[in-house]
Amino acid sequence: MDVELVEIQEFLASHPPFDKLPPETLERLPKRLSVRYIRRGSVFPPLDADQPYLYILRRGAVELRDAQGDLVGKLAEGDLCDMACRLGGNAVPMKGSTAEDTLVYLLPCTDLTALRAQHAHFAEHFDQSVAHRLRRALDAVTNAPASGAGLMTLRVGTLINRALVTATPETSIREAAQVMAEHNISSLLIMVGEHLAGLITDRDLRKRCLAAGLPSDRPVREIMTERLETVNVDTLGFEALITMTRLNVHHLPVMSGGKVAGILSTTDLTRFQSSNSVYLVGDVHHAKDLDTLIEISSKVGELQVHMVNGGATADQVGQAISAITDAITRRLLEIAEAQLGSPPVPYAWMVGGSQARREQTSYSDQDNALLIADHMKPEDDAYFAALASIVNDGLNACGYVYCPGDVMARNPKWRQTLRIWKKYFNTWIQRPEPMALMLSSVFFDLRPVHDPEGLFEEIHDQVLNLSKDNRIFIAYMAANAVKNRPPLGFFRNFVLIQGGEHDHTFNIKHRGIVPIIDLARVYALSSGITETNTLERLRTAAGINALSKDGAANLSDAVEFVGTLRVRHQAGQLRRGEKADNFLSPDELSPLERGHLKDAFLLINAMQESLAQRYQTGRIN
Amino acid sequence: MFFVPSFLDWRRQWQRLRARPGPLRDYLAHRLPRTDQDWRAADYLAIDLETTGLDTERDLILSVGYVVMHGNRIDLASARHRVVRIDRRIPEASAVIHQITDDQSAGGLELADVLAELLPVLAGKVMIAHHATIECGFIGNACRRLWRAGLPVRVVDTQVVAHRTFERRQTAFKSSDLRLHSLGERYNLPRYSAHNALSDALAAAELFLAQAAYRETGDWLPLKKFLW
Repeated sequence: MDVELVEIQEFLASHPPFDKLPPETLERLPKRLSVRYIRRGSVFPPLDADQPYLYILRRGAVELRDAQGDLVGKLAEGDLCDMACRLGGNAVPMKGSTAEDTLVYLLPCTDLTALRAQHAHFAEHFDQSVAHRLRRALDAVTNAPASGAGLMTLRVGTLINRALVTATPETSIREAAQVMAEHNISSLLIMVGEHLAGLITDRDLRKRCLAAGLPSDRPVREIMTERLETVNVDTLGFEALITMTRLNVHHLPVMSGGKVAGILSTTDLTRFQSSNSVYLVGDVHHAKDLDTLIEISSKVGELQVHMVNGGATADQVGQAISAITDAITRRLLEIAEAQLGSPPVPYAWMVGGSQARREQTSYSDQDNALLIADHMKPEDDAYFAALASIVNDGLNACGYVYCPGDVMARNPKWRQTLRIWKKYFNTWIQRPEPMALMLSSVFFDLRPVHDPEGLFEEIHDQVLNLSKDNRIFIAYMAANAVKNRPPLGFFRNFVLIQGGEHDHTFNIKHRGIVPIIDLARVYALSSGITETNTLERLRTAAGINALSKDGAANLSDAVEFVGTLRVRHQAGQLRRGEKADNFLSPDELSPLERGHLKDAFLLINAMQESLAQRYQTGRIN
Repeated sequence: MFFVPSFLDWRRQWQRLRARPGPLRDYLAHRLPRTDQDWRAADYLAIDLETTGLDTERDLILSVGYVVMHGNRIDLASARHRVVRIDRRIPEASAVIHQITDDQSAGGLELADVLAELLPVLAGKVMIAHHATIECGFIGNACRRLWRAGLPVRVVDTQVVAHRTFERRQTAFKSSDLRLHSLGERYNLPRYSAHNALSDALAAAELFLAQAAYRETGDWLPLKKFLW
């Protein structure tokens, strides 16, 4: 059968899930189809069908409404309607009607069943569980890095040299240095039998021995680092990198079944990454002045591009970039203190929003506040005002632009004593009002980045204790969290918004990520969970109160999937020398990604519905 | 119900007596579809020919494409495309349009075999074609040459239906508006880029579905409203 119906075959081949069928099946498929033409305004699927069919839209548009008559979806060219094939299952009763004159291809449901039985990848598309589809989409995204294999997929075990070079605590520093020189290594594991006792590095030899004037015949025990973070051979290269970034260390012992398997150094990791977050953080620690910090922070965009190329997920990008912002903030505080002298009373520098959640991408703005010990005197404020200005201006110069809502330490309102802060939170939680809700995303995601005296803990405990059992406050937070609804899906090259409106682009952060962040915050506050990071909140809240284990896992998948699309979108812009933003056009998405995004939206919507019901938010809004 | 034979049915009976034994005579043994039935109850065969020119006496059929329609549903399983072997070179002027090469034609089937395959499918069905005089003329002439009788057939000519629609609505139109693809666009139909007999037959079938859908009121709509 030569040229027959080649165009219909090509049409099918370019639309999921038919693109998953092998060519020989695809070639026979057009012959299984029939064609119908349905005028605008007609019932869809048509009532006079001689048997149940899967409908494939070739031209035209179909609107789907739920039992209440609300628009739940809109189909266009290449979209499928398998409603009739799902009867008896957990099909959602929906009413369709053609919004345009529509030409459809009909495949008998019996044929669909046979195809699903024979072709697993094809069948996945019809998997009735949105959660399963999303899980697979996420796996696909994380397993297929944008370019090449990277640290995302490699385990630490494959990166290390397994030949262990060790010494005992009683070895002399000189001997240890000789061993390191002999093996040309920059660190040495200190062992007592099979037990890891400590680690020495080049830096320790320099700082704790030579610079400190310690005789080299002293035992290494005196200069070794004893309290060690370790990673496992199964740890992903990336997680190890983030641990190093967070701790600002260049070496990590690698364990396997409780035994030391080797040592991982940044050099092992940098083979895979040219612009490395560990080095950026290291550079920040050594930066002498603001200009150097500005130069370092200009590489953050490049880091995001590299990480995305390496297959990093949104969480990994967020962790790495937030670690750098933390380091820059701390360095600016050091610079400010060096300039202004020691603080008159202890203080804590608190960060809010995405930095607090460790979910920053390059070019996030700054949200911060100062928490000052209660015994400060009125005249001390001049010191903290000056400190805040130096840090706020410095961050702004580094690309973390001033917070548009003025939530910054330089604002006197957010530079207060512990007592005032406790009063603030007390008011927000006990007498919830719109202002508190507006600030909620900033101040209910709060974390100290510099807090030598541990001032923050008291606030934190208070917030959790007050909010946990305050059902009214949680209901207000919930009402706020369900206000921002995700889009319904896509229609042609438009985003389909609740109520049936279309848009050319959509803000993927506000529409797809913020709703999950807001949900996670409610779950965390209602269960007294201390985490600020959205994934950690979901993980910890799973199975408690409002959040089922499945719900938590599904939302985690959704936020990772949507977030990863976002960091990729931004990386694409940065690569092209454009400014990174959150505005995604459906044109940028593959049909498959659109399908998965739509799944994520559905899921968010369902979780919002269930939260709304639980807290009766309808009575608040 | 008492069956009143139409004029065309009388012609069919008459031709049946004249026809040589073979596929045409078998075709003629079938009754033609009744014109007073609802259009959705009838079966159709949408057809298109590619020819060496427009002269039904002297030019030759190069390829035949067709697809069957059951009521308001086109059945793609029935789609066929056949290239016909001819005994002369394909004129360049027509080759630009249908893009059938001499080599392809040489690898084609005998016209008699193509018609022997077509006629049993057409039996009992209404023919759909765009500018059907070409299809009726060429196939009728071929039947007369091969089997000594003409081909009585009920015909929906989508071009005639479109013409009537324009006139009924008193819409101004150019002759180019009556072309298959211009009409398809009017009804939001897909545009097939390949220009061959089958895709044109399919386009004509889809056009008829659209035309009929636009005439629908939900009530009974007799087939004869669409016949030429």
